[in-house]
Amino acid sequence: MTNQQTWIGKSVHRVDAPAKLKGEPVYMTDRPLENPCFGRVLRSRYPHARILRIDTAKASALPGVICVLTHKDVPGLNGFGIVIPDQPVLCFDKVRMMGDALALVAAETPEIAAAALDLIEVDYEPLPIVDDALAAIMPGSPLVHETGNIHLRTVIRRGEVAQAFAEAAVVVDHVYFTPRQAHMFLETEGGVGQLMPNGELHIWCPAQAAFRDRLQVARLLGWDPERIREYSSPSGGAFGGKDELTVQHYLALLALHTGGRPVKIHLSREESTVAGIKRHPFMVQMRTAAAADGTFLAQEAFVVADTGAYASLGGPVLNLAIEHIGGVYRFPSLNVEGYCVYTNNGISGAFRGFGVPQVLVALESNIDEIARRLGRDPLDLRRQNLIQRGDLSAIGNPMTTGVGNQAVLEALENSPTWKERTAKKAAVTDPWKRRGVGIGLCMQGLGLGKGIPDYGAAVIELLPGGKFKVGISIQEIGTGNQTAYAQFAAEALGCDVADVEVIQGDTGYSADAGTVTATRSVFTGGKAIQITAEKMVALLRSTGAESYAAAYAVARERGLETKVRGSFAWPEADEEIPGAFGLPHHIYGYGAQAALVEVDTLTGEVQVLEVASVVDTGKSINPMGVEGQSEGGVAQGVGLALMEDTVVREGRFLNANMSNYIIPTAGDVPKVETFIVEVHEEKGPSGAKGMGEVPIVPTMPAIFGAIYDAVGVQMFRAPATPERVYMAMMGDPSATEDTPALRARIAEGRRAGLAAQLHQTEGEGYAQPKGPEDEEA
Amino acid sequence: MKVTVAVNGTYYTREVEPRLLLSDFLRHELGLTGTHVGCEHGVCGACTVLVDGQAVRSCLTFAVQMDGAAVTTVEGLTPAEGELHPLQEAFREAHGLQCGFCTAGFLMTLVPYLAEHPNPSEAEIREALSGNICRCTGYQNIVKAVQLAAAKGGGR
Ligand code: FES
Ligand code: FES
Repeated sequence: MTNQQTWIGKSVHRVDAPAKLKGEPVYMTDRPLENPCFGRVLRSRYPHARILRIDTAKASALPGVICVLTHKDVPGLNGFGIVIPDQPVLCFDKVRMMGDALALVAAETPEIAAAALDLIEVDYEPLPIVDDALAAIMPGSPLVHETGNIHLRTVIRRGEVAQAFAEAAVVVDHVYFTPRQAHMFLETEGGVGQLMPNGELHIWCPAQAAFRDRLQVARLLGWDPERIREYSSPSGGAFGGKDELTVQHYLALLALHTGGRPVKIHLSREESTVAGIKRHPFMVQMRTAAAADGTFLAQEAFVVADTGAYASLGGPVLNLAIEHIGGVYRFPSLNVEGYCVYTNNGISGAFRGFGVPQVLVALESNIDEIARRLGRDPLDLRRQNLIQRGDLSAIGNPMTTGVGNQAVLEALENSPTWKERTAKKAAVTDPWKRRGVGIGLCMQGLGLGKGIPDYGAAVIELLPGGKFKVGISIQEIGTGNQTAYAQFAAEALGCDVADVEVIQGDTGYSADAGTVTATRSVFTGGKAIQITAEKMVALLRSTGAESYAAAYAVARERGLETKVRGSFAWPEADEEIPGAFGLPHHIYGYGAQAALVEVDTLTGEVQVLEVASVVDTGKSINPMGVEGQSEGGVAQGVGLALMEDTVVREGRFLNANMSNYIIPTAGDVPKVETFIVEVHEEKGPSGAKGMGEVPIVPTMPAIFGAIYDAVGVQMFRAPATPERVYMAMMGDPSATEDTPALRARIAEGRRAGLAAQLHQTEGEGYAQPKGPEDEEA
Repeated sequence: MKVTVAVNGTYYTREVEPRLLLSDFLRHELGLTGTHVGCEHGVCGACTVLVDGQAVRSCLTFAVQMDGAAVTTVEGLTPAEGELHPLQEAFREAHGLQCGFCTAGFLMTLVPYLAEHPNPSEAEIREALSGNICRCTGYQNIVKAVQLAAAKGGGR
C-alpha cells in the first residue's frame, strides 16, 4: 500500500514550526487564563539550617492573598524524587539548599504574592554546611541527610589491574574537574494548575515525564493518579532540567485551595537557577595504562559526583558515567570506584550527556597523552583500540548491537577539519595566536538500562476524512520528535505527514511511553507508532474499505473502535553488571568530533573556529533535524568546555542570572559540519537508534585536545576560561591543582568511601518526621 | 498612569502602574504571549519587540514609556491568516528553531536589521545575532535562515 520510505529519512520541515513562528500560545506558560491567580514559592535563606518556626499569620492576613501553605498542607507523602523521594515538597525539619521550598502563596496578583512571601516569618538555626563533594565522603563531615552523605557507591573491578599497570609501558594519571553547568533553557519552569468542575486536577507544565510526574503528584496529594491530568508539551527547552518535578507539586497543592481558579507559577531566571537541576560537577582521578605497541591495558578511576542536597537522578548519572569510563575502547582490566554524594550545593540531576561528558574528557585527554608519549598519531592510536561488535566494553558488557565506532572514526578522519588540519592551523593570522586541532570519540547508552522498566506506547485515532491523531506521552522539548513521529506515522499508515496530528505529553490522551530522556524518544516513539499503526492497518482491512476516509465511515456505522493502542518493551542486555544498578545498556549511539581552536597567547582566550561532528544515528529519520541537534549539542559543549559554571560558594549562588552566567552566543559557537553515519540497528524502528545527547559528549575533550595542540598545555578543569588557560601557559603554580595534598585527600576519600556503612534510603518507607512546633494562624 | 499605545495596529488605552514593564503589559494586559521573557535582564533578547520600527527589549522598557508609540510584536508580523512572513518562512525552511522559545525575539531583532542590511555577510549576521540567546540550535540554522531571507529580498 505504501511506497517504502516516503517519509523516513527525509528532511521534512518541522510540523510545529508555523505555530511557534507566529507566536501562538503553544507553551504552557503562555496559555490564556480565565480569572487566574498567581502562585509563589518561599525559598530557603540558608543552604543548611534547622527550621525552628514558620509563621504565616501576617501573610495570610494580607488583602488579596488566597492561601498560604506549608508542610502541614501536604496531604500525602511530603517527598518527591525520581528514584527516591528524599526531597521535601515543603520543608519541615530543615533546609538543605538555597532553593528549598518552605511555603506556597496564591494571591490575586503576582505583586501581592511577592509581598506575602516577605510576610512569612521563618526562624532558622543555621547548620554547618558541606560544599565540597570529596569532603562530604570523609568521616566527620556535616550530614546533609541523617542516612549519610553517600547517596550511591558503585565499584566495578575487572581483570588483572595491578598486573596490567605493572607491565604497562605508559601510565597516565591525572585529576579532572568539570563544572556545574546550568541548563538555561529559555523558558523557565512554570505552568498552571486548576481543579476542574469534574473533580479532576489538571496541570499544564512543560515537562519530560508526564506519567511519572502524575504519579509523584498523586503520591504527595494522596490521590488516585487517574484523577490527575498533566499536559506537558511542548517545552521551551529542557535538556534534562525538566525531567524531575519542577513546579507541578506546587501547582497541585495550590490548586486545591483556589476554589477552582487556575493558579499560575512562572519562575524568575534567578529562582530557576537556584532551585533547579544542574549538571553534576565531577572530580575524576583517572589512571590509564597502555603497552608499548599502544594497546590499552587498564583503566582505573575514582569518580566523585556532587548531587547537591537531593538525589534526583544522581545515582543513574553516576552509573552511566561509570559505564562509559572506558569510552569506545577495549580495556581488558578495570578498577573504578564511583560516589554520588550529597552536599549543600543546590541540586544536580539529568542534563544532556548524563554524566558521560564529565568522564569522557578525562579519558580522551589521558589517551592524547599516551599518544604523545608513544609518539603515535592520536587518531590512529584510538583506531587500534576501538571496540568491535562482539567485544566486551570496559565494564564487561558484550557489545552485540550495531557498533558505529569504525564508521564514525572513518568519517572523522575524512572530515576537512581533521584532514586539512595542517593547512588550517598554519592559516593563523596574528603572530600572538596559535591554532590546534583535537579530537574526541564517544558512545552513549540509549534507553534506561538493565532492569529498569523501559517501554513505549502510542495511540492512533482515525478521524473523519481519513486523517489521524497520534498520541504519545513523550514530549516535544525542541528536539523535533513531533516531526519524527509524524514521519513514522505517515510512513506506516501510507498517508501524508500533513494528515497526522501528533498529541504529546497529555496523560489524558495516550498511554505511558516514559520519559524524553536517555536519547530514547525516537526509538521509543518510532517503535510504538509502528506497532500501533499495524493495528490501524488491520482496522482498515476489517472494514473492507479502500481508503481510510471510507474506513472511518464504515467503522462508525458498525460501531467499531477507531482508536487503536500499541506498546512494546525496550530490548535490554542479557546480563546485568553486578553492583551497578541499571547497567549495562544494550544499544549505544556513537559520535566523534574534531575541533579547530585558536588560542590568544596574550589573554588565554580560546576561540573555537570549527567543529566536525560525526553522529551514528542508526537510520536517520530526519537529517535536517539531526544536523540541528548536532549543532545545538556542540554549542552546549563549547559552553561546557570554555565558559559555563554555576558558581556556588558556601552553598550560595553567585551567578544565577543570564547577565553573569554566560552561555555561548552566535559569536562564540563555531561553524559545525555534521557527518551522519548510519549503522543500521536491527532492533530499532526502521533501523534508527537516536542521537540527541551524543553531540554534546565529545566536544569538551576535542577542545581540550586542540588547546594542547595549539599551546602545549593540558587543561584539567573545565571551563577552560581565559584566566585558567593563561595561568597554565605561564606555568603558574596556581594552575596545578594536582598537588600532593590533593592526592592525599583522594587517598583518604577512597579509603573512607570504601569503609563507609551505607544506609539504603527506602523509597516507600521514607518517613516524614513530625514538623516543629509551628505557630500558624 | 494612563498610556495609549498602538500594538500591531490596534490602539489600546490602559491605566497602568508606572513600574509595569512593557513585556508584562503585552503578555498579561493584552494577552500577546508570543513575546517571551527569558532572562528579565536585557541579556537574552527573547522579549524583543519593535517600537516605532526599532528593535527594543520589552523587559527593559516600561509600558508608560510607550505612550503614543507604535509597537509591533511577533503576532503582528504574520500577514494574514495561515500565512507566514518571509522571514518566518525562511526560519521554517532552514530549520531555524527547535524549542522555539527564543524565536520571536530573533525575528523581531532581524526584521529591522534586514531592512537596513539587505545583503549581510555571515560574519555580519552573527554579529547582528550576538545579542540574542538561543540554547537549542547552535545558531547555525538561524544564520542560514537569515541568509535565505536576504536572498529572497531582505525578509520584508
Ligand atoms: S527577557 Fe528581555 S532580554 Fe531577556
Ligand atoms: S530554539 Fe530553543 S532557545 Fe532557541
